[in-house]
Amino acid sequence: MKWLKVEWQGRTLKIPAQKLQGKIWFHLDGETHVAEVSSERRKGNSTGGNQDGVLTAPMPGKILKIFKSSGEEVCQGDPVLAMEAMKMEYTLEADRDGKLGEMSIQVGDQVALGQVLAKIEE
Amino acid sequence: MAQRFKKIGIANRGEVAVRIIRACQELGIDAVLLHSDVDQNSRAYRMADFTEEIGPAPSSESYLNIEANIAAAIRSGVDAVHPGFGFLSENADFAKACEKNGIVFIGPTSEAIQLFGDKVSAKNLVESINGPLIPGYKGDDQMLGRLMKEADAIGYPVMVKAAAGGGGRGLKVIRKASEAKEMIESAQREGKNAFGSSRVFLEKYIEDAKHIEVQIFGDASGKVHSLFERECSVQRRHQKIIEEALSPSLDDKLRNKICSAAVQIAQAAKYQGAGTVEFLFDGKDVYFMEMNTRLQVEHPVTEMVLGVDLVKAQILTAMGEPLLWWDDLKPRGHAIECRIYAEDPYMNGVPSVGPLGYCSFPEGPFRRFEVGFEEGDEITSNYDSMIAKVIVWDESRTRAIQKMEQTLKDTVIFGVRTNIPLLFQILSHEEFVRGEMTTGFFEKHFSKGLKKSDWSESEKTLIQNLNRNLVEGSSASGSDTSSVAIDPWTHGWNTSGRPS
Repeated sequence: MKWLKVEWQGRTLKIPAQKLQGKIWFHLDGETHVAEVSSERRKGNSTGGNQDGVLTAPMPGKILKIFKSSGEEVCQGDPVLAMEAMKMEYTLEADRDGKLGEMSIQVGDQVALGQVLAKIEE
Repeated sequence: MAQRFKKIGIANRGEVAVRIIRACQELGIDAVLLHSDVDQNSRAYRMADFTEEIGPAPSSESYLNIEANIAAAIRSGVDAVHPGFGFLSENADFAKACEKNGIVFIGPTSEAIQLFGDKVSAKNLVESINGPLIPGYKGDDQMLGRLMKEADAIGYPVMVKAAAGGGGRGLKVIRKASEAKEMIESAQREGKNAFGSSRVFLEKYIEDAKHIEVQIFGDASGKVHSLFERECSVQRRHQKIIEEALSPSLDDKLRNKICSAAVQIAQAAKYQGAGTVEFLFDGKDVYFMEMNTRLQVEHPVTEMVLGVDLVKAQILTAMGEPLLWWDDLKPRGHAIECRIYAEDPYMNGVPSVGPLGYCSFPEGPFRRFEVGFEEGDEITSNYDSMIAKVIVWDESRTRAIQKMEQTLKDTVIFGVRTNIPLLFQILSHEEFVRGEMTTGFFEKHFSKGLKKSDWSESEKTLIQNLNRNLVEGSSASGSDTSSVAIDPWTHGWNTSGRPS
């Protein structure tokens, strides 16, 4: 950690800042900010949940239940699977209508943050 | 029959372990931390007088493992064990195992834990003293078909709860008949996984109600005292986020009603030690929800308005010593607690894990920080994501809110993201400011999480300048050089390292 002197909105401030694992953390005007400085954003690094029919694990955890099977038609909002992490159960829902593609996970599997759990094909 | 403890084992971790160690130190008792292997990197481990390993990281093999905890307690020669909250704190088998091995369990008897731990027998007890109950189904027939039929009969929305549940787990709201099957099964699974029992019961879900709970304490002489109420209506998925004492919405008449109901319930069970009776308040009347037979996460707000130390009182009571404060309890001013969760508020609260960087909790009058971890400690996904609590006291609720806002502005946590940005939004929300929030408050206003706005041009410049002045914290890898690829803006900003 370093105290850095910055000019900010007409004031000279000394703020704590630290670089950790490629990210810059700084505390400015009562708020902590995190900035990624790498030109290449590593995939799956900070995305999770549902995006364009791809359901990824929003956190590391365990698969508790799979509600749908491969090839099944799903509608937006349908629960696809339930997982548990940090003692809470979360349900991942389909983010669009479509057909569920092949799933490589099983109940009881430990999954990593950002791991692709299911894909919904149009 | 007073027994002086020389050594107390702490069957817990994080900030509550630190809290208990402090109480032991002040009473001149040695603290032994019973910890999992990964928790060697924690503040409690560094503070404890002795440490004893109980197993690997997964809770089921360490913090929830009764045999491992008992064996470590015996190994280290403790007189008593404090279970904190969560983990084994409400496990009657653990209390029994302590009793069997001549170790004092700092808490109520295993019978009392069992009675209130089973939410169904707890409701039966409340029924027997004509306490205020929510309509529902608590029968022995646990067949899915029967449960679904009963849910229909109660009328939606219906809450399905694991009979052995607590802390927001094993608890689901069924909004319509078509969800009943999935929700009941999910509550059964969570109950089975977290508490070892899939038994559930159903209750009419009272929407737009406040969560109000009464702190009670059964002293060594057998007398039960009321320590007034706390309000914990700011909850997400039934997990509390902000708590305060007293409640801004009870009048003296209702306050007397719930405080005396809570005392009666505890007395009926010959309760000893700290306990909390939880109620729902729908704006007109109060209903019993459950009794927690342990110290609560939010106990500091009660301590702040009454000027008492509940953890020391627990230890002294377990030693058979009388309380000093029971006839002198007058609340003064207002206290608020914010729980700091390691999570990304811009990703709808997804847990954030990793090593902690620089952290700062600046002291001030009537600010209190309960912190379990320090720079370099790893926040892992093995455990609950609550890493700290911030508590403030001030002369009025308005001033306490202002103080909390300033305290959180001064609080710095690097390395993991926290819910602090969300806490600011809640604290300044008009419904919260007016004290009108109910348990639906969070869902109604914050269920989508926060939106992160893009960096402004001046912020981008600032970041580039910071980047040029910073060196990677721990291990500067080769990829570091490529990470400064964005062309720096040259105008305006002047950053320079401050020689310290």
